[in-house]
This record gives sequence, C-alpha cells and structure tokens, in this order.
Amino acid sequence: MSTRTVEYLVQRTPEMAPGGRLVQVPVLPGGMEPELHGEHMLINIGPQHPATHGVLRLVLELDGETVVKCTPHIGYLHSSFEKLGEYRTWNQVIPLTDRMDYLAPLIYNCAYAMAVEKLMGIQVTERCKVTRVICMELDRIFSHLLWLGTTAIDIGAFTVFLYTFQERERIYTLHEALTGARITTSATRIGGMMADLPEGWIRELRHFVDTVPRTLDEVETLLTNNQIWIGRNQDVGVISAEDAVSCGLTGANLRASGVAFDVRKDRPYYDYETYDFDVPLGEHGDCYDRYLCRMEEMRQSLRILDQAIERLPAGPMNVDDPRLILPGKTDAMTDMESMIHHFKVVMEGVKAPVGESWFSVESSKGELGMYVVSDGGSKPVRWRIRGPSFINLSALPTMVEGSLLSDVIAVNASLDIVLGEIDR
Amino acid sequence: MSDKPFTDALEDLASGASGGPQSASPYGEAADASTHESVAALVARFGSAVQHHAIMAGDEHVVRVPASRVMEILRWLRDDPAQRYDYLADLTAVDWGGGRPIDVVYQLWSIPHRRGLRLKAALPLDALEIDSASLLWRTADWLEREVWDMFGVRFRGHPDPRRILMPESYAEGHPLRKDFPLRGRFSRAEQTRRALAMPVHEHYSAQEIAVATETEAHARREPGESP
Amino acid sequence: MGLSLPTVPSGEANFLTTRLDYVVNWARRNSLWPMPFGTACCAIEMMAAAASKYDLARFGMERMSFSPRQADLLICAGRVAYKMAPVLRRIWDQMPQPKWSISMGACASSGGVFDVYSMVQGIDTIIPVDVYIPGCPPRPEGLIYGILMLHEKIKGESLSNPALREEDPSRVGEPNLPDGVIEELALPYGNSTNQNKVSGLVTTTALTRPADRKP
Repeated sequence: MSTRTVEYLVQRTPEMAPGGRLVQVPVLPGGMEPELHGEHMLINIGPQHPATHGVLRLVLELDGETVVKCTPHIGYLHSSFEKLGEYRTWNQVIPLTDRMDYLAPLIYNCAYAMAVEKLMGIQVTERCKVTRVICMELDRIFSHLLWLGTTAIDIGAFTVFLYTFQERERIYTLHEALTGARITTSATRIGGMMADLPEGWIRELRHFVDTVPRTLDEVETLLTNNQIWIGRNQDVGVISAEDAVSCGLTGANLRASGVAFDVRKDRPYYDYETYDFDVPLGEHGDCYDRYLCRMEEMRQSLRILDQAIERLPAGPMNVDDPRLILPGKTDAMTDMESMIHHFKVVMEGVKAPVGESWFSVESSKGELGMYVVSDGGSKPVRWRIRGPSFINLSALPTMVEGSLLSDVIAVNASLDIVLGEIDR
Repeated sequence: MSDKPFTDALEDLASGASGGPQSASPYGEAADASTHESVAALVARFGSAVQHHAIMAGDEHVVRVPASRVMEILRWLRDDPAQRYDYLADLTAVDWGGGRPIDVVYQLWSIPHRRGLRLKAALPLDALEIDSASLLWRTADWLEREVWDMFGVRFRGHPDPRRILMPESYAEGHPLRKDFPLRGRFSRAEQTRRALAMPVHEHYSAQEIAVATETEAHARREPGESP
Repeated sequence: MGLSLPTVPSGEANFLTTRLDYVVNWARRNSLWPMPFGTACCAIEMMAAAASKYDLARFGMERMSFSPRQADLLICAGRVAYKMAPVLRRIWDQMPQPKWSISMGACASSGGVFDVYSMVQGIDTIIPVDVYIPGCPPRPEGLIYGILMLHEKIKGESLSNPALREEDPSRVGEPNLPDGVIEELALPYGNSTNQNKVSGLVTTTALTRPADRKP
C-alpha cells in the first residue's frame, strides 16, 4: 500500500494574546484552578440532535469543558433486521439490506448476495462481477460524499454540504436509472442482478467519473489547507494503532492510524487483485488523517471505476440456473418447465444447502461482514450483519476522553457512522 | 401437455414442504486439520479441546471447542506469535431452536499473517454462561452486550453487562431467540404504553445517575459547607 | 396552561376575521420552520430536499430548527423504535402551538416493512399527525407535495376555531390514540400474515394466524 506524509501546519488551535500575538494554550485535564472545588457535570447529547448523524445518544461527564467519560447509548433505531431476516426467503431479505446502511445501499445489496452465493457455491457471471464492482465503488463515493458534506456542516462549513449533495444527486439519478429507486435500490438478486444495465448508463457513469474530480478539487481547496479545518481536526481524536486494532476499528479509521488492513487487498473478492489502485494510509490517527484518507479513497474509487468500465464484458448478467433466477416472461408464459420454475422460485423461494458462510467486503465504513446460516430451507436460520459502524462507535470513548466538548462532535463526524447499521 | 408437475408442485406447497434439513450434520463434515496452520497448531497444543473441525462454504475453517476452554484458547490464538489473531472481526450467537444448544461464534482474523478462523462454543439452554473475551479484545465489549441482549447469554467478567439495543427495562425477553415471536410478547398497546411511561432514570445507567446526583447535591450546598 | 389566544367567539365569522385569518394563515404557512426529526433513510431524502436541487428554501423552510421550542412543523422522517417513542412524544410536547406534523415515509406512517417487536406501528399512535407521506423513501418531490398539502390545510384554518390549537396539558406524555385503536391499526394483514414462519422445520411458538391466510 502507498503511504502519504501529512504535513503539520499548526499544532493546536492558537489563541490571541494581548498585542495580537498567537500563543498556544495547552489544555490540562482536571482544570487549571485546583483550589476551586468543582463537580463533574453530566450532559446528554441526542438522541435528537443535528450533529449526531442519526439517533445516537452520547452521555458525557464533563469537567468544565473537558470530557472525562463518554458513554454512547444506542438502540434508538433498532429495527431487528436480523430477526426479520429469519422470516424472509433469501431473495426477500435483499430489500432489507438497503435500509441498514442507507448511505451506500448497493454495497449492502452486493455483500449479502455475495455471502449467500458463497454459501450456495454459485459463481456469478463475469459481467455480474464487474457490474457489482462498479456498484460498490460508486456507492463508496456516494457514502464518502455524504460524510464529507455532513462533517463539514458539523464543523461549520455549509458550502461543502451543498456541493457534495449536488454531486450525490447525479448518483441518485444513476441509481434510479439502474433500479428505479434513488436510495433503497435492492439491485442484486441471488445469482445476479435485478436487471441488466440500462441503455446509456455506462455513458452517464463515465461522464460522472470524468467530472466529479472537479468538485473534489474545489472541496479540497476549501478545506484541506484551511486553518480552521486544520485547527479543529489535527490532533483531535487520536487513537493509536494497537488501540485501533483491539477496538476493532476498520475502514479509513483504522488506516488513518497506520494499520494496513483493507479487505479488498487482504482478502480480495471479484478480481480486486487485478485492479490497479492504492489504499491510503495515515500516520497520526487523528481526524485530519481520517479526512485525508477518505478524500484519497474517493479518488482511488474513481480509478477503479475507470478500469471497471473498460473491462465490462458483454454477456448474460444472471447465472443460467432455473432454480435461482426467474425465467424470462416470454418463457414463463409459453413453456411449462419455465412456468413451474417461476412458480417454485416465487412461492417457495430459492433453497440453500445446509451450511454457513461468513463473508466480508470493504464497505465505505469499514469491514462489512455477513454471516448466513442455513438448514437447507428457503429462509435463513440466522442472518448476522457485522456492521462496521457498530464497532467503530464503540471506540469513540477511547478517542474522546480527555478532549474538549467540541472535539466530540468533530470525532463523531470523522468516524463516519450510520445509525441504521449500528442499531440494525 | 400433462399438468402433473404443476399439480405436484402445488401439493408440495400445500403440505408445507419447503425443503427440509438434509441428513448431513449441520456441523459439516470433519476436515483434515493440516489444511489450516492454526488448526494444526491448535490440535497440537490443545488436543482434545478441538472437538470438531470443518470447512464451510469452500474455504472457511470452523473449529468447535468446549465453552470451558474458550478463554485459554482465544488467549493463545491472540498471543502466540505464529497465530497472532489480533483482530476480532465478529462475536455473535446462533439459536437453532427446538431446545438445541446456542452456539457462540467468534470470527478471528490475523492482520500480520492474513489468516482467518472461526471458533464456536455450544452452550446448553440451561447453562448460558461463558467467559468474556472483552479482556482480550476491546471489540468484544459491545459485541457481548449485544449477544446478552438478543440471546440471554451471560459473559462472566464483562465490565458492563447491560442491554445495548433494547431499553434496560425491556421485559419481553431476549428477541433473537427462536421461541420469541416476531411481533413481541406484549400487545402493541401495551408496548406503546410501556415505552412512553419509561421513567427518566431508566434512560441513564446507575453510574451516570450517581454523577448527576452528586453534582446536584454540590449545587445545593452552601459555600463553605463540606461535602 | 393559563394563556388563551385572543379569539372571536366561535361561529361569528365576519369580513374582518376572514381577512385576519387569511393574513395569519399566509404568514404561518409560508415560513414553517421544520423540526427535522430524521431517524433513517427518509432523513437522507429530507436532506436532499433541503439541498440545492429540490430546495426547501423556496417555501421558507431552509431554517431547520433543531430546538423544538422554535419550530412549527415536526417532520418525522424515518422509522421510530419504541425506545425512541418517548423522545418523539417529548419533542412534540415541547413544541409550542401553532404546530403541525408530517409523517414522512411508510415507517413513520404505519411501521413500513418493520412489523416487529421494536418498531412503532405508525407515529400517529404517539403524536397527532396532519399529513402522511407514503414512500420508502418518498422522493423529495413527494415530501414537497406533502408540504404543499399541509399548506392547503393551513389555508383552511381559522382563528375562530380554538379547538384547532387546543392541547390538553394533562395528556403530556400519553399515547395519542386509545388502546383499542392501536391494536386495530397494528393487526397484520395481507401478505404479512404469510410471512410468519421461520426457516425449515424449526418449530417455534411464533404467533401464527392460519385463519388469516387466503385460501
């Protein structure tokens, strides 16, 4: 993996001394005036709060403005996807997967389909593989754009939110052309995709890939060397590599601390080892490094998209297996065999062999694992989602204890969490 | 053209046959321990503690161990330099229903060696207790809280054994168990009423309330009064 | 709470009161400050509606107030869990009159795909709702259509009808609908009664309703 050195411009938010000089003011935990007896204050952020990125509740114990203890409370969006999955057939689970990480739905669709296909021992077609790579990388950009917009708006830069949402509208249009829905795409099926790529979709996608770097450059101009951005993000929410691995952090959060772990590189799937791309690695494990890692990840995703568009082969999208894939409408209406297969696939559902599979992909938030257990029926016995945000959030107290109250918001934003995935 | 296949399929459906469990053991066929370095090393070191080794879905190695030996095995897997499973990818449980034991599943990955391994421990329903892995990996903290919440498995030595997804006062049981109905045990009106009637102190843990009450008591003290 | 709005006695509508109503309703509907109670996917569509392409600012709604005390319109966007229900009720109670609410999306309106133990089956069991917007998630145009529908509703309001803006302070924190109605609204129907069985031959004491299944 490639490394990139981060330049340090400012150590800490400077303050003005009389006379206009800038001085560094260190923050001592425990307060600077020990003779004043103070007690710790308990404040509650959320679950309804603009900056918590969803229904997250943080209870902070403060000593002045320094955070002594931070306890995240979750479960305010618990929709029991895992229980619901046990009552739905393998294909009926796919619309549920969109609603967990609603910022990158195609990644979830693909990850679930890939886990079940691994369980069933199905090899999808080449066209399907490349299409799913395109979908996953497109949604990685989709998710990072939202992360960028909401993080900027939390720190105070409203313009970036409008820029990134304008770019996201173009991806919404792509989603809609592909599946009919903007967010809740449900694009995959066991054994293939819901439909082949529509006419002109690749042309639109190529146009997007060619023009989005302009917006990314503009956002970088606004943020990367901006004193306020640096002051609020450098040295904030630092986590060491050992702590990060022990806490189970994944994704850009882990790589910003210098640990080289990316599922696409370490456990490649769908020929990722044949694509030419780099994974950015940070050094300091602070919010600024996480920001730089994600910006670079977006550019690398564009690189992968370029290559995937080039190598997209013609051919069938779905596996040619009547036990899995619905036959075409003409066949189902004219041929008895096809009609029976259509009937069985719709009424009974696709059946999986006895067994289990734990499969993970590199989602925009981290390592997304799908564990499916089957007893030979058409519904899962157990569907477990290893949501990266759930575990990333559990590391928040480690990152935030000892810093200031406003840093909590910056660190929370830099973790890139989505509550649908945390609460499942 | 005969309608027989069609009517057969209809009858199948009416009789509720949705494909039954195969005669193969859900544990999978026993596999050769030498196919995975860590499994071979486990067998060499712990011998009979490795109850079963199978390969699932083509290339996933699953090892079954007794619940009483899980802690030492996990610790060895994490610390031994040739194994170095420093990253706990997932910790979950599977309830098969029908009175069968609940499996606790540990999914491990070694970042330096780029190897994965899955460990399982079966817990009988009348003894749902196992040692906590939160002392080995900090990830296990929240993951074990979720397993307690959803399945009712107790983790000995866990620093903060509270429910995590459901409210602390949730009285309907452990949702992901197979004997728990999808819509819950209480009626919707009862669930709504209970949800809205949650007292304020239910939303905070005991420690948080202690901090808040101490602050309030301090605020009410006269200047000069000792705590 | 002891304060009463200056109203004319009910039923006595005259030229002055209708003119006053017109002005008051015009002012109220053209500057509805939303309280975005966004929980899940619908919140993202609400954010997209607030962004440049579908701009909510043309309705005077760009100022999203996150303090309920300064908000007019509660937009509940997304699924609401029972754990979140007291929060929703509390925020609704904290909003001062005049206030309206929009239930955005299928989950907020009726529970959506989540007919499960932890999901509120429609927020109208907890708070009164003025406009329901179906969709999963509804497009931003759908949200805007719902807002315009609310505008029509506000146009039809009158200051001489005090019942519109009345709130019973003793019912703070209580469910909005009586128990029987909640039960009736939450009954499973249609295909959801067939999706009650778990995998394979695992037997459960799960609630099954064979009488509901279509022949």
